[in-house]
Amino acid sequence: MGGWRRRIAPYGLLGPGAIWLALFFVVPMYFMGEMALRSGSLESGGFAMTWQWSNFADAVTGYETQVLRSFLYAGAATVLALAIAYPLAYAIALRAGRWKLLLLFAVVAPFFTTYLIRTIAWKTILADSSPAVDILQFLQVVPPDGRVLATGGAVVAGLTYNFLPFMILPIYASLERMDVRLIEAAKDLYASSAKAFWRVTLPISAPGVVAGVLLTFIPAVGDYVNALLLGGAGQAMVGNVIQSLYLQQRDYPEAAALSFLMMAAILVVVVVYLRLAGTGAFMGDEDEEARA
Amino acid sequence: MSTPAWGARLRAPLLVIVAALVAALALAACGDDNVGGGADTSTEVAAAGDVEGELTISTWPGYIDVGDSNTVAEFEDETGVKVDYVEDVNDNADFFGKLQPQLQDGRSGGRSIFVVTDWMAKQMYDLGYLQQIDHSTVPTVFENMLPSLRDPAFDPGRDFSVPWQSGMTGLMVNAELAPDVRSVNDLFDPRYKGKVTVLSEMRDTVPLVMKADGVDPNDATKQQWLDAIDKLRGAVESGQIRRITGNDYTQDMANENVVAAIGWSGDTSLIENPDVEWRMPTQGCILWSDNMVIPKGAPNTAAALAWMDFVYQPEVQADIAEYVQYVTPVEGVKQVFVDRGQTKLAENPLIFPTEQFTADCSTQPEPPGSAADRDEVVEAFQDLVRGG
Repeated sequence: MGGWRRRIAPYGLLGPGAIWLALFFVVPMYFMGEMALRSGSLESGGFAMTWQWSNFADAVTGYETQVLRSFLYAGAATVLALAIAYPLAYAIALRAGRWKLLLLFAVVAPFFTTYLIRTIAWKTILADSSPAVDILQFLQVVPPDGRVLATGGAVVAGLTYNFLPFMILPIYASLERMDVRLIEAAKDLYASSAKAFWRVTLPISAPGVVAGVLLTFIPAVGDYVNALLLGGAGQAMVGNVIQSLYLQQRDYPEAAALSFLMMAAILVVVVVYLRLAGTGAFMGDEDEEARA
Repeated sequence: MSTPAWGARLRAPLLVIVAALVAALALAACGDDNVGGGADTSTEVAAAGDVEGELTISTWPGYIDVGDSNTVAEFEDETGVKVDYVEDVNDNADFFGKLQPQLQDGRSGGRSIFVVTDWMAKQMYDLGYLQQIDHSTVPTVFENMLPSLRDPAFDPGRDFSVPWQSGMTGLMVNAELAPDVRSVNDLFDPRYKGKVTVLSEMRDTVPLVMKADGVDPNDATKQQWLDAIDKLRGAVESGQIRRITGNDYTQDMANENVVAAIGWSGDTSLIENPDVEWRMPTQGCILWSDNMVIPKGAPNTAAALAWMDFVYQPEVQADIAEYVQYVTPVEGVKQVFVDRGQTKLAENPLIFPTEQFTADCSTQPEPPGSAADRDEVVEAFQDLVRGG
């Protein structure tokens, strides 16, 4: 094989992915960034390019409540989902035996129904006078005259529910391929069960946890359906703001600026998170785990 | 893993991304200077002709009779036109926002008729997105249209719009749980804290709040609009108002999550709860129509005109009115009900409101002033909806 072909080959292999990225990521990003610098209105003849950097400033100062709320709700949903998903994935992967496939199917099956229908169903389940809310009131989780729907709690619960499989499946996948003999070895070396879990199981499942957190958190931050259907008048998230700017106010530049900033903010959060979690854990890099 | 290795791994994709970015820039450089403006505002009249082929109608949910021999099927039988009746309008602004990029290019998304509210019909027309309707091509429409609808302020002489149904915005009340709600001001009663919703349709909710405080919405200043929005804001912040909703307030009413709301007169037919009724607010309602309009670029305008003419026959309209329970725009429907022995329908004030019934009502207003003034009001209201 000639030297140049050897040098060209990797680019050729990158080709399909790169074209895909260029068409469906870079080009739209470019148009969004470009729109964010325009000004004007539909009624006055369209949006002209005026290098309106102030759109970004307006997007930051105008909607900080909703931005913070989005990160708060998505963060809470991610933590909750992790707390539910890890034990469940652990049980399915290591304890379920021949029920494994059936349980896995049970995790995924509800999601054959569309997202919207499932979220609307929660409105009926959590209605003010529903049995579910009666029980919560009896347990004093909800005050006697309180409600669940149209509160922040309902939005977080909806986000947790809707993104749970994205947390369960990666954790399951990483636990499933773990060699259980490692735990036996740890115990042979006089580790307690807790210690064996802490030193062996958890590090091995770390890539699954890191991936699950990302797969849950990122879509949850930008979600608007849960806030729209389960939230009340004070629970709008960034997704709802962008929807309203784009469709109701038809202020495309500001909607684009806010979308752009939101992507940047998520990118920063993800990079910081990966730094803290260790990129090796995400990549499944054994070297880094060994060093850690 | 060391940093140089990372660098080596990243260099190739980075190059490709840079190349793609350059390509995107080049692509964009060939594009328009202005995005979203400068539509073709020339006048275009919907062409009549042979009635055949296919017809796509975009409208609101629950806005026509159902069943085997419903109005759509009747029209198909009589004309041979195949109708695609799509219920994809849930909110004027959302619908417009979705279609606007196509309308901008003179395309209608395959649709020949939209059903939108007065102000939205006007906005579409002003942007040059609609065709005019020649009255001679729809003789039945202009023979039977109620006189009160023939000359509305937004479309004097009905150049581009034909009413589909009219309606009233007022109070939707659970008579069992909130028996004494009769004025829009009662929605602010602390007894109903967290059990009240208002509509996200600004031109319904804000004028009703103004009316309740004695302000004539068709004569209101920008400040009065903003004051009413502030009053709503206070009620949202105190938790009095539970949600600001679209048509889905009907679900909260049916479940009794909400005991009183600002709502549309025909919606009792959508709410499966016998205690829920629509009430005329003591200070009057907001009157509006949803109109059939023909967008530019609409295929088969001949069939669209035929459809308009078809539904303006009193016999046909009576079937629709019986089902949807909105104010019918067609004269002679009452007589059809009388002839059919349906006296209860013939006397239903929600289908045939008397002048006395709607004496205190106002036509749906627009915020006053320049486009910038209107934008300010719209933005203040949207801020409220977004709960910022």
